[in-house]
Amino acid sequence: MKNKNLPNGTRDEFGVQAEVKEAIQMKLLGLFKDRGFRKLTTPVLEYSDVFEPLSTDNYRPYQFLDEQGETLVLRPDLTLPVARVMSTTGVDLPVKWYYSGDVFRVKRRLSGSYNQTTQAGIEIIGYKGIKADWECLQVALSGCQQMGLEDVTVEISQAKFVDTVINQLELPEPTRNSLKMALFDKDLNRYQSLWSPLVHTKFEKFLAEWPWLFGDFDQVIRIVETLPRSTELEAIIKDLIATKSFINQQFPNFQVTLDLSVRSPQSYYTGMAFRGFTGKSADYLFSGGRYDDLLTNFQKVKVSAVGVAFDVDALVERTALPANKQQTLIYFDDDQWQLAEKKLQEIPNSTLCLTQSVQAAKRLADSDGNKLLDLTEGRSQNGTN
Amino acid sequence: MEPIKIALTKGRTEQQVVPLLEASGINCQGLKNKGRKLIFNDDPRYDFILVKGPDVLTYLNSGTVQIGIVGSDVLDEQENSQYAMLNLSVGKCRFVLASTADFNPQQQRRKIIATKYPNITKRYFEGIGEDVEIIKIEGSVELAPLIGLADAIVDIVETGNTLRENNLRVYAKLQPVNTKLVVNRLALRQYQPQIKTLISNLQTADRQAVKSKLIRE
Repeated sequence: MKNKNLPNGTRDEFGVQAEVKEAIQMKLLGLFKDRGFRKLTTPVLEYSDVFEPLSTDNYRPYQFLDEQGETLVLRPDLTLPVARVMSTTGVDLPVKWYYSGDVFRVKRRLSGSYNQTTQAGIEIIGYKGIKADWECLQVALSGCQQMGLEDVTVEISQAKFVDTVINQLELPEPTRNSLKMALFDKDLNRYQSLWSPLVHTKFEKFLAEWPWLFGDFDQVIRIVETLPRSTELEAIIKDLIATKSFINQQFPNFQVTLDLSVRSPQSYYTGMAFRGFTGKSADYLFSGGRYDDLLTNFQKVKVSAVGVAFDVDALVERTALPANKQQTLIYFDDDQWQLAEKKLQEIPNSTLCLTQSVQAAKRLADSDGNKLLDLTEGRSQNGTN
Repeated sequence: MEPIKIALTKGRTEQQVVPLLEASGINCQGLKNKGRKLIFNDDPRYDFILVKGPDVLTYLNSGTVQIGIVGSDVLDEQENSQYAMLNLSVGKCRFVLASTADFNPQQQRRKIIATKYPNITKRYFEGIGEDVEIIKIEGSVELAPLIGLADAIVDIVETGNTLRENNLRVYAKLQPVNTKLVVNRLALRQYQPQIKTLISNLQTADRQAVKSKLIRE
């Protein structure tokens, strides 16, 4: 074999790290199951059309052709396959799914990024009200709590807010759009030059601060309150404030921030979106929100949907790896299997020692700092007492 | 609070940006007498690291630094997805299409273009509806049309002196280049007040620098 290297952007996982990851996944799946969610598994391979609505700014998918020449991809996302299932299988609504699996995103070559990452999440489909959004938050934050994460910040945003405000501005359509892009990219120079015609209007105070309209919840709301009143805006703010109170009540230790200057995570988002991070994490720990337009790419009928997914690898990064525990190696003769099996059940953190001699067993135990339980002690060489 | 890590492009960008950083109230003693050092923590609020332009985004995307200061040429070439928040007035130049005097932009064959910036070159020619062959060159790009490796080059020009000295002419002006302050998307949330203050101070220092330059001129 000439090529025994790993493909770019992939890695093996073994030992303690792999065990921690497995434990985190099991905890999350247990949490979903205990709250009455049902399991949904979709294939790793899908037609590329399924992911058409996905905006991919810093990665592309792995692509192949199937035997008919159709483009297949390794799934870069786990939410759109759920939409495909919903629009093709006639599953009765409403429904609550949970899923877990790997997604594949080809990132910049040799940049230290991994192309295969693990997600675990839920999708709640067919519920219009805010209770479904809150159930997602409850699951996301219970998950963080169960991982022992203390310093979690939940950032809430709203997909409709930016357009609602932009549409009120007396600016020509192309300028409105450019202003929105400059706001989303946080390109301050461009943003400032675009809104300058609205200095000395009732929007001045708000527009001056808009690129910085994230962070402390109450401070952001105070700036939003300088905007002219509109029923649409008031409905958005009312939901956001109620959601903050909900989180404060359920998870008083977690911080809630608000971001009203950010682009929706995906074009199909229609309502509240939320992400979680800690002070030190380099990635978001979870991300989700409401996407009532999710299924519109697959079917004509609009269906309410809200979901959240954990980045399992980011959770592993934030988890302290346990120190290697001392193991007990059980050494035994070929005819002592039953006894060995019994000891294995009795002694915590033990394993059968499969060496052919007691000397080899001693060497193995010494080299790893483990204990040796020799069941052959006191037996004669021929295997009898 | 831990200091904010800033990756600064070493070389010309670093020389032009350090006075601005100083004017915005940052202690840059180490950066000014750097010797062979690469990490500087003279100011308790910031750790500076000196890296090559293309590496700024690698550090920034991994989250190992929170802020990068780098030319827009690098950001455009690498298709940046972080927040390029601020243009600084230093390091302004422009991409151009240049070649020898006998180059004919209307020539009836597929042109060969040498450049350090294949993505920017590809996008420019796609934009004008032309398909060209691109040859990636690592440095001294001006040589390519002189030696006959390429019909023309796409490169950055500041004063135009290098082009003139090598008898090359500008055939088209492409996008301008400037120095940008780029912030990691998540770090902006984690260090919001500190980054806001840094940006505001830098904006003031930059405006001041532009004003005093205008007065001098």
